[in-house]
Amino acid sequence: MDRGNGPAFRLLAAGAVTVRFLRHLAAVVLTVAIIVALGMLWAHASGGTGTGGGTGTGGGLKAAPSREVLQRLEQVKTGAIKIQSDDGFQANTGNLVRTCEIEAVLAAVVITVGSIRRRNRRMRRSAGVRA
Amino acid sequence: MTGPPVTVSRRRIMARTRLDFWLDALLLVAYTLAYSLGFTGIAVHEWLGIGLGVVLLVHLTLHWDWVIRTTRKLLLPGGRERFIWLVNLLLLVSMTLCIASGILISEVALPELGITLRASSFWRNVHDTTATVTLILVPIHAALRWRWIVGMARRFASWRPGRSR
Repeated sequence: MDRGNGPAFRLLAAGAVTVRFLRHLAAVVLTVAIIVALGMLWAHASGGTGTGGGTGTGGGLKAAPSREVLQRLEQVKTGAIKIQSDDGFQANTGNLVRTCEIEAVLAAVVITVGSIRRRNRRMRRSAGVRA
Repeated sequence: MTGPPVTVSRRRIMARTRLDFWLDALLLVAYTLAYSLGFTGIAVHEWLGIGLGVVLLVHLTLHWDWVIRTTRKLLLPGGRERFIWLVNLLLLVSMTLCIASGILISEVALPELGITLRASSFWRNVHDTTATVTLILVPIHAALRWRWIVGMARRFASWRPGRSR
């Protein structure tokens, strides 16, 4: 991340900033397009572009349901997956809380490891100065 | 009225930092909500995902200087920035594929726009997998800049209108 020590923070004219932003945006769009194109290639190579699930309405002959779809259907039948027919707001707060918990735990681990490493580095440096 | 160049520059830097902070916060909240499909429902999930894609493009554009600078320094010794670069690259790939596959399997947003695609189990699997990978990488990405986030939050919390900072 750019945190204020790069050339973007030099005093530039408004026009130059706009041109710079557009140039960077073009580079970003190109990068994203390359990733998507690679994904498409991957799908094509693995033969995964056909139907097999979801609610597609393509014309012509449809392929038989894939193993995954049949598995999902089985899970729905047994009640392991709940079907939400409503397109609107569901407000299952338990789901949101679980996501927040996962994020909080992972962030806490990274922050703790970072703090320990920083403390060790500081201790090594101060020991080096004393020696 | 504009002040001396140093003050103008400082004000610009502060404005840019504030933009970075709030845009990052928006991305984090939006992703957390979008991942919680049971909370939002399919329609909100899909529109939020599309919006997330647009904001992600802006986020990347604003930090493109960092990408170029760090990529050039990859061969130099020093591990931390290299690790952050790798996490960011993985996050870029997984989030891009997550949003792209989400669009390809869209059941509400795209049909509402009059576009109907043939959904495939491949893209559904890609969407599920990349969403989980992104869920792991997003908190790591944020936590690696934890000191900056805390510093900025403290600064904004103590900010008073009219007070020069």
